[in-house]
Amino acid sequence: MAHFDTEYQRLEASYSDSPPGEENLLMHVAEGSKSQWHHIENLDLFFQRVYNLHQKNGFTCMLLGEIFELVQLLFVVGFTVFLANCVDYDILFANKFVNHTNSFKVTLPDAFLPVDVCSAHIRDNTFVIFVLIISGVFWLHRFVKFIYNVCCYWEIRSFYIHALKMSMSELPYATWQEVQARIIEIQKEHQICIHKKELTELDIYHRILRFKNYMVAMVNKSLLPVRFRLPVLGECVFYTRGLKYNFELIFFWGPGSLFENEWSLKPEYKRGGNRLELADRLASRILWIGIANLLLCPVILVWQILYAFFSYTEVIKREPGSLGARCWSLYGRCYLRHFNELDHELMSRLSKGYKAASKYMNCFLSPLLMVVAKNVAFFAGSLLAVLIALTIYDEDVLAVEHVLSSITLLGVCITVCRSFIPDKLMVFCPEQLLRVILAHIHYMPDHWQGNAHRYETRDQFSQLFQYKAVFILEELLSPVVTPIILIFCLRRKSLEIIDFFRNFTVEVVGVGDTCSFAQMDIRQHGHPAWMSAGETEASIYQQAEDGKTELSLMHFAITNPQWQPPQETTHFIHQLKERVHREATAGPDARPLSLSESEPRSLVADMLAGPSTLAPVHFGCNSSLMNNAAAGINSAATGLRSLSPICSSLYLRGSLSAAHRAGGCSGRTMAGSGTDARTVSSGSSAWEGQLTSLVLSEYASTEMSIHALYMHELHKQQSRGEPSRHTWHRQESDESSDSIPDEVRSEPSARSLSFPRSHTFPTATSSPSAASASASATRGATVGQEWARSQSSSQRRHSGPAADQFGAGGRVARTSRMPMGGWAEDGTAASRHHEPLPEETSEDEAPPHIHKMT
Amino acid sequence: MNCRSEVLEVTVEARQVEEAMLALLHTVLLHRSTGKFHYKKEGTYSIGTVGTRDIDCDFIDFTFVRVSSEELDRVIRKAVSEFKEALSNSGSDGMGQISLEFYQKKKSRWPFSDECIPWEVWSIKVNVVNLANEQERQICREKVGEKLGEKVINVVEVINRHEYLPKMPTQSEVDNVFDTSLKDVQPYLYKITYQITDTLGTSVGTTMRRLIKDTLAL
Repeated sequence: MAHFDTEYQRLEASYSDSPPGEENLLMHVAEGSKSQWHHIENLDLFFQRVYNLHQKNGFTCMLLGEIFELVQLLFVVGFTVFLANCVDYDILFANKFVNHTNSFKVTLPDAFLPVDVCSAHIRDNTFVIFVLIISGVFWLHRFVKFIYNVCCYWEIRSFYIHALKMSMSELPYATWQEVQARIIEIQKEHQICIHKKELTELDIYHRILRFKNYMVAMVNKSLLPVRFRLPVLGECVFYTRGLKYNFELIFFWGPGSLFENEWSLKPEYKRGGNRLELADRLASRILWIGIANLLLCPVILVWQILYAFFSYTEVIKREPGSLGARCWSLYGRCYLRHFNELDHELMSRLSKGYKAASKYMNCFLSPLLMVVAKNVAFFAGSLLAVLIALTIYDEDVLAVEHVLSSITLLGVCITVCRSFIPDKLMVFCPEQLLRVILAHIHYMPDHWQGNAHRYETRDQFSQLFQYKAVFILEELLSPVVTPIILIFCLRRKSLEIIDFFRNFTVEVVGVGDTCSFAQMDIRQHGHPAWMSAGETEASIYQQAEDGKTELSLMHFAITNPQWQPPQETTHFIHQLKERVHREATAGPDARPLSLSESEPRSLVADMLAGPSTLAPVHFGCNSSLMNNAAAGINSAATGLRSLSPICSSLYLRGSLSAAHRAGGCSGRTMAGSGTDARTVSSGSSAWEGQLTSLVLSEYASTEMSIHALYMHELHKQQSRGEPSRHTWHRQESDESSDSIPDEVRSEPSARSLSFPRSHTFPTATSSPSAASASASATRGATVGQEWARSQSSSQRRHSGPAADQFGAGGRVARTSRMPMGGWAEDGTAASRHHEPLPEETSEDEAPPHIHKMT
Repeated sequence: MNCRSEVLEVTVEARQVEEAMLALLHTVLLHRSTGKFHYKKEGTYSIGTVGTRDIDCDFIDFTFVRVSSEELDRVIRKAVSEFKEALSNSGSDGMGQISLEFYQKKKSRWPFSDECIPWEVWSIKVNVVNLANEQERQICREKVGEKLGEKVINVVEVINRHEYLPKMPTQSEVDNVFDTSLKDVQPYLYKITYQITDTLGTSVGTTMRRLIKDTLAL
């Protein structure tokens, strides 16, 4: 007890609740820390682990998987060394005779060398020892990591069980959205984050994806040196895991990096005062890391091979398409990723687009190769046929030396050749395929549309969607190339990087420093050509390219229907959704569509079963209609009309999410609804029990596809109305050696004239004017062909009167849409659509100049 | 970081450093201390009383209130005088920062040591000025007093917000939340650290620790 040695005395009368002498009667009840989950120190790491555990389907799966991976690595290294050093191949190939006492049979143990010979072999070979040491270190590293992970994830496991009330067995069947909803729910009770009473979905995403958002933004603003113009190969993209690791090391977590810890940028980088000095420091750091990379090159190479093997099984598991010949490149994943998009969301989107993408790439098989392949296949096939026939006649043929191996080789040869011979049933329709791809990947440079059949487009698309062989080759080259890129390309950009981090970092209460693009604020980073005209206040430097802000916003709002965005953003989302809904609903009432008329039921059913598989049909129909009905903005509308099943899914989803929200409001109890993990416990809805959140998320992807297509369509329209911004090349930003300081915002005109940035695909064209002129010339001709072809094809598909009807309907739709967009007069727009050729060419010849934004 | 941080900045003369720091630290601690807990059965407890005392400063026109606990005062005084020493020895332009960090301990399982997780950090940035003559000193004396008054109001405003505080612990866990070593008062667990001129970058030790942690992390 304290002694009262101050002049402040207790006023007995004022203590009404504790009469004198009875202080001890005033009792408090200790709350204790009933949960250990309040106030978690490192929430970034915590949420990442929660997400990882969910993605790995629970603790046991993860544990088993990791143990097997460790064993696998030991096995592979051991087995390879054994095969290389401890087997006497002469005995196996029967070049050397083994004298057995009782039989002539050669047994496998005969071929093994004795242990002492074997170990001598290994000891003599320094390379093998080198590899063994590195793999030993690698294995130990994985092992320590494994132990550490087990301890950490055990905690996360109990978090799932005790706090989130989800058992590990139901985890694989719960969607991430559900887990997230529960986390938000328990924040109210446990206060995992102490800054705010309630967490939002965006907070959680921000924390998990803090650095990934930065990387996406840097790729979006073409800040990272990943595109190069090489003398022989032309323009190419080089972005490997090794390079990515180095970037992350330099920016985010390495010693002396820009970030102080996971959640905050160092204060000196937030001030503009000594940016030059900081840039110098960064440049020298990059130099040192580059040199270190160069010195460690052989070690990294071996490590990389081990790592590649190690992660290969995981890749297959995650990516169904990875067994095919192509894969989405690392650069593609960065380019196509939305802000705030988790790995599994991106993966599912890309996997859905895989089929269409590989089909598209197969359209471009070279006819020359095809002829050669056909003939090689013919000769190889006849040889093979003879050999097989002989073998069938008498199997002793197999015993002749090299017959079995030549049969195998010929078989492989035929398989390879066949991959160069296109499918007979395949039709050359790149434009349609590209639309289908766009529906899934959501991003595409402007100049691809209408140029899908050109080889340039294909080449650029192959930067996103590369051969797996190329991918592996790049990975193997990476240890050599990475230091060169670091030292010669990245170092020059250090000032730009410093400026980027200063200008595009915001401190969010309860989250820390995040990339401001990831806030998805239309006003801050919207692009006027992507529907946010009038709302955006961003300078050209601040605008996200390719409509990334807008599309990311839509994507996030659609995948997280519970999220309550800020006021202006809500307005934007509502407006856009309303427009899409209106377009979607306008169709069936006006006139029933031939396609859905013929078999509406089955289409609805199919669409429910799997939207992605059927999408080609619909979109194919859509784009042919588009060309017929004088192209233009109405194409989105007609497209949506043709997609009446999707429309119904839109309705379904709308009502569902409404019900979902209502259910959320009417006091959802988390613990109570544990009967069915997937069921959204919406109290009053008619959908209860039938429609699960999984279905909801499936519709989400469809809805997002529609929105993405719609926004691209509108954007195309808008950029047509505004030819000045339609420059199809973006200057590579390393051509402007100095960086863009803050002053750009206040005075953009002087700079921007010499710095034409557009919303298009970043190409490293050195002489933009010449390229665009030649492109326009060829494009004029090809567009004409394409237009004629598509017109004839659509006439074949649809009867004449129907086509006329579409034209009329399209025009009506356009006039009704005018007040919302307001970018072109009706008359001029119509004339433009009927005469696409001169319009296209004039656009390209127009000198690039940028509107003043402020 | 999952912790609130408040920054206070003061500009004082060299001889005022000690008193200014004491005033601010004691003000915060006054609000972050309770009486001793006396646990009864069934997880209930009663709280002892805490006395307060007015302290008049010698070099500043200012009076502040502190908890009347000599032990606590001794601890704070020791930390502050160390800070003052370091500041005067640094020889540079006299910039420094003293921070008062409230944390709670979390028991973790065997392989890891107990974690100390901060939930509130008060950083006081000090800028020491040299004054030429007595008149200026006199003005400074009054001005610093006014400033400190403002800061105290700031502190009270922050404390009045309903924000996260560790939950009241049960008897076995009381050491994880409160500093129970003092016999007459029981502040939340706190730690006082200081730093002379904000050195760029983190120390080598923390970088190494981070490096190891990062390589281990999945």
